[in-house]
Amino acid sequence: MAQTTDAGPDTGSGAFGEDGSEFETLQDILFSGDRRRIGELESRVNDPDALAAMVSPILGDAIRRKIREDRDEMIEALYPIIGGLVVRAVAEAIRDLARSVDAQMRTSFKPGAVWHRFQGRLRGVSSGEMLLRQALPFAVDEVFLIHRETGLLLSHVSRHPETASDSDVISGMLTAIRDFVQDTFGQGREGDIDQILYGNQCILIESSRLAYLAAVTTGVEPTGFRNQLRETLFGIDFAYGEVLRRYSGNTADLVGVADRLAPLLDVGSAAAPAPPAGLSRTQKRVLLVATGILTVCICMTCLGSVWTIRTVQAALAPLPTATPTATPTPTATPTPTLTATATATATATATLTPTSSPTSTPTQSPVLAVMTGSSWLRSGPSLDSERLNFAVERGRTVQILAQAGDWFEIRWTPPGGAEIVGWVQAEWVGTTSPIPPELVTPTAGP
Amino acid sequence: MPRISKKVCLLGDFAVGKTSLVRRFVYNAFEDKYLATIGVKVSRKTVVLPVRDGLVELALLLWDLAGSEEFSAMRASYLRGAAGAILVCDVTRPDTLAGLTAYVDDMRRVAPNAHFVVAVNKIDLPDARLPYAEVDAFAASLHTSCYLTSAKTGDQVEETFRHLGRLLVAGD
Repeated sequence: MAQTTDAGPDTGSGAFGEDGSEFETLQDILFSGDRRRIGELESRVNDPDALAAMVSPILGDAIRRKIREDRDEMIEALYPIIGGLVVRAVAEAIRDLARSVDAQMRTSFKPGAVWHRFQGRLRGVSSGEMLLRQALPFAVDEVFLIHRETGLLLSHVSRHPETASDSDVISGMLTAIRDFVQDTFGQGREGDIDQILYGNQCILIESSRLAYLAAVTTGVEPTGFRNQLRETLFGIDFAYGEVLRRYSGNTADLVGVADRLAPLLDVGSAAAPAPPAGLSRTQKRVLLVATGILTVCICMTCLGSVWTIRTVQAALAPLPTATPTATPTPTATPTPTLTATATATATATATLTPTSSPTSTPTQSPVLAVMTGSSWLRSGPSLDSERLNFAVERGRTVQILAQAGDWFEIRWTPPGGAEIVGWVQAEWVGTTSPIPPELVTPTAGP
Repeated sequence: MPRISKKVCLLGDFAVGKTSLVRRFVYNAFEDKYLATIGVKVSRKTVVLPVRDGLVELALLLWDLAGSEEFSAMRASYLRGAAGAILVCDVTRPDTLAGLTAYVDDMRRVAPNAHFVVAVNKIDLPDARLPYAEVDAFAASLHTSCYLTSAKTGDQVEETFRHLGRLLVAGD
């Protein structure tokens, strides 16, 4: 301690006493505020909730500033998280859309929906997918024919010719990209890029020995389009092979090539959505047979309807024999009555006086009708009456003799049989004229 | 007027000024970033030239090849089918002239009938160290001409392209 004292007043705690309590007191006085703040800061930093509350107000500003300053870096940093989420969300949204459309199609009875369902069944896909497929129309925007060796543009057709000024430079770059990919990934093997996808655009590439075609398309490529590209290219290769082999860069040597490319632009134009992919041979046969059967059914139905109508008309028409001649109808039979008169004299005489009085009910003309249903004949105008062993079939022409309530008494002559008379319910008898009142009177009834 | 297209390559070591020549005087549809990604960028320079029976419009499709070593493996593919090349060297770097021989060899392997023009670039700079005699000798060995160009001032650039164009048209 003596050394400390001897060392002078600049040697620390000795100046404040042996135990340094004064020094600590001074420290407390000087730094107590700072110590308190440091303590608070430590507690905030060590407490996750407090730390989050502290940082969150400036976090948004910090991210915004970083995006503004270096957008690409932020995208790269966030892509592994957000990219996957976006892809999943988009895929799920498309699935939902497909399900929703499919459900709508299943419950719809519009001709279009029914047709889509039918097509979907034929092709083994849902009608929703069919509809989505048609909602993405295929269109060919541009076609480049490019010399394979030099990358020079041989011909170019475009749906928008006014924007085609860079076509020769584009051809060169496209060729450079193909060469780059071939050299980098081909590793000596034969091969070609056959398509380049960018957003909803697709560059379909088809190559031959001397040239290649690049078609810039949107939408879903229809079946057979590749084949059409190939056939076009091979046709050009065949027709202009010699020119292409020694191509000097003079497009005048390739007159007519553009005409061969132009039809490719017509495949599935955006204005007219592309028809669905062609049916297979089997599907065509099934469709043909189904159409044939349907046609036959329709014809048969029409013929049957015509025959029925004619039959009914013929049945309802007045018969040629139905001339207005009175036909006496013996409705009563002679009934002999025996009258015995006894007298007191032995001159009893017995006289047989037949008092037959046939009463006939003449009708002006027969009332004809057609049976609208097959029915049993009964002996009287009620269901309690005895059922005769005869039934009159639907469509038979009968003559109405009398009406009692809801019953008609009819006469019917079966083919080759005896005339039958009986009662049927009026609901099975179709009449074309009103029943004469004299027939309605239940005189002929039981 | 008939229109003819030809593929032409710009060859030379790294930083001799090939891209500057292209950037100043030709039509650019694409950005220079393609040079760094796939090692080539295609541009177009159209010149009208006299021929025996009139004029011809010649579209030079210029393939500006990256001079760096990393794309040397791709060079043969990019040179294929070229009708000619502009060989560019830097007047301040004598070694860039020596490097042109390798490019000529590469070119002749895949395009034996190609025409060449030599462009000694950056002549606007004060410290020219390239002996012109060597340049002349090199051009003579290729049976062609040499132009002293400056992409900065535009000196002789147009003439260089037109000369190559005349060689290509005359060669048909």
